[in-house]
Amino acid sequence: MSLIHIQNLNKHFKVLNRREGIGGAFRDLFSGSYRTVKAVDDISFDIEAGEIVGYIGPNGAGKSTTIKMMTGILKPSGGTLQVNGLMPYNNRIKQAQIMGVVFGQRTQLWWDLPVIESFKILREIYKVDQKMFDRHMGMFDELVGLKTLYSQQVRTLSLGQRMLCDIAASFLHNPQVVFLDEPTIGLDISVKAKIRSLIKTLNAERNTTIILTTHDLGDVEALCQRIIIIDKGKILYDGDIKRVTALFGAYRTLKLQIDNYADSTLQSLQEKLTEHFGADNGCTIAQTEEFWTDVTFDQARTPLSDVLGQVMANFRVSDVRIVEISMESVVQQVYDGALR
Amino acid sequence: MKSYLALLRGSYMVGLVYRYGFLFNIAGNVLYMSVTYFLWRSIYQGRETLNGLTFDQTYIYVALGSAVFILLKTYVDWQLSFDIREGMIATYLIKPIDLQLYILFTSLGYCLMSLSAITIPTFLLLIFVFHIEIPLGVGLLIFPFSLVLAYLLSFCFDYFVGLLCFYTESIWGLSITKDIIVTVLSGALIPLQFFPDVIQNVLMWLPFQAIYYTPLTMVAQPTLGWETFLPMLGVQLFWVIALFGLTRLFYDQAIKVLRISGG
Ligand SMILES: Nc1ncnc2c1ncn2[C@@H]1O[C@H](COP(=O)(O)OP(=O)(O)O)[C@@H](O)[C@H]1O
Ligand SMILES: [Mg+2]
Repeated sequence: MSLIHIQNLNKHFKVLNRREGIGGAFRDLFSGSYRTVKAVDDISFDIEAGEIVGYIGPNGAGKSTTIKMMTGILKPSGGTLQVNGLMPYNNRIKQAQIMGVVFGQRTQLWWDLPVIESFKILREIYKVDQKMFDRHMGMFDELVGLKTLYSQQVRTLSLGQRMLCDIAASFLHNPQVVFLDEPTIGLDISVKAKIRSLIKTLNAERNTTIILTTHDLGDVEALCQRIIIIDKGKILYDGDIKRVTALFGAYRTLKLQIDNYADSTLQSLQEKLTEHFGADNGCTIAQTEEFWTDVTFDQARTPLSDVLGQVMANFRVSDVRIVEISMESVVQQVYDGALR
Repeated sequence: MKSYLALLRGSYMVGLVYRYGFLFNIAGNVLYMSVTYFLWRSIYQGRETLNGLTFDQTYIYVALGSAVFILLKTYVDWQLSFDIREGMIATYLIKPIDLQLYILFTSLGYCLMSLSAITIPTFLLLIFVFHIEIPLGVGLLIFPFSLVLAYLLSFCFDYFVGLLCFYTESIWGLSITKDIIVTVLSGALIPLQFFPDVIQNVLMWLPFQAIYYTPLTMVAQPTLGWETFLPMLGVQLFWVIALFGLTRLFYDQAIKVLRISGG
């Protein structure tokens, strides 16, 4: 029996099609028309105790909705969902005792109180005995130097410090499973590294099952053996991360600011690359933000120096950035058949 | 139970963080007490009693009423609607605790804070600055119990309006309407004796009077005796049990909406 068992799980939201303006809002009061959003659309997977699973997908994919169902906050529209053999939404209080949850966007700590007070309140709420409390607090201090933050008001913590505290708090009662919803969102590289090592150590020491949502591929590469990719409520891939990193580890995105950018620029860039590397060159070109043209390419087939050389030889470029492949491009590549 | 006391302790400490706000409340209270003092003096103008109440009795009622008003205002309705809109409600639902008790004990912490910062100072002001004599009587003994029941009733109304936000997502109009209804019908501003007889009779059958009229009368006319006060306490207890039960039933409905539409 797996720790988490999900079969043909659905979550549909009925959303009001809001009309424009005050008049529209007024008419909505009386005759609203609704559409159905399939936030989670017929997904199935099983998670075993002790796993760290990366649950990834672009914004609006349905990650948070799935987490809210697994934690008993939301009621599924259909399908089977069991955590430790029980349906979370029918046994919320009982199930909450074996779960820890971190929502990256909001804290579960007491905003106006010193950090240590939140931990003391949580100790009572989860009925953690003094010995376990002391041991865990000692461990958190060893791992991330939590003690230095004890007397600081939560509202005055930096985002990274707050996240470290929130993650530590979610492990305080030694839960069987911890859900981390975007724990690294908005953090810089060095804090991310700290958070990743905290998660990894806690999983190793306590054998806690961890489900981590993120749209940072670095997080999953650093932490997970298994990844589940979700988009538009459907699961695109569920399996070993090695297949995914083997594919995308070599991908980079070259971001270019091209002088005298015109509508024809994208096309002529495409032509130049095809001319030089052949039709099946694995490069995709897109304009994702204003003034920036993105060229995503596979280093194994078309080395960075060659791509850059081609671009420089044909266009006047005023700025260049090289970034790892984005979540959106990964999903696009999966749709295009990259993992088949 | 210990976990709920921890919540109470936590919110008491949050209240302490904002204690300077309470100083303004006391200042405002003193101003209000002075204004009402002269207002009621001029209403009485040499008359011994009005509607069966002496000046002192009416003034104790009204002045203490304003202090109790601050004490019994839980702001649970505003808090809940904020938590729902901002999605903070999810951080409550992940904890192994009952939502109604979580909110009750959190608001009790703030209440104890304002009890020590406002209600008790007001008592002292009444006695030492305005030289009002509160006659000793059984009412004073029962008052603390009555006040606790009154708090629970006030909580039920605020909590009920807060739960309505699961449906409406906006609180402004609902909360103001509730405040007006409760304030006027409970005798928070004027003793119920000043209302016409017909209206008095109707109000006695509603839960509102149990929030302000009951505890305030116990201090304004403490010598009325057990035979008057015990039935009043019984009525309060009845409403507490009834409204707690009803709001729990309503929660079961409202939480379904939240869990279906998102949080
Ligand atoms: N309460 C809600 N009401 C209506 N639609 C919602 C609600 N919550 C989420 N959605 C929709 O469901 C989809 C999935 O959202 P979410 O699970 O938050 O995505 P993710 O966490 O992957 O970014 C989105 O299209 C979102 O707009
Ligand atoms: Mg999300």
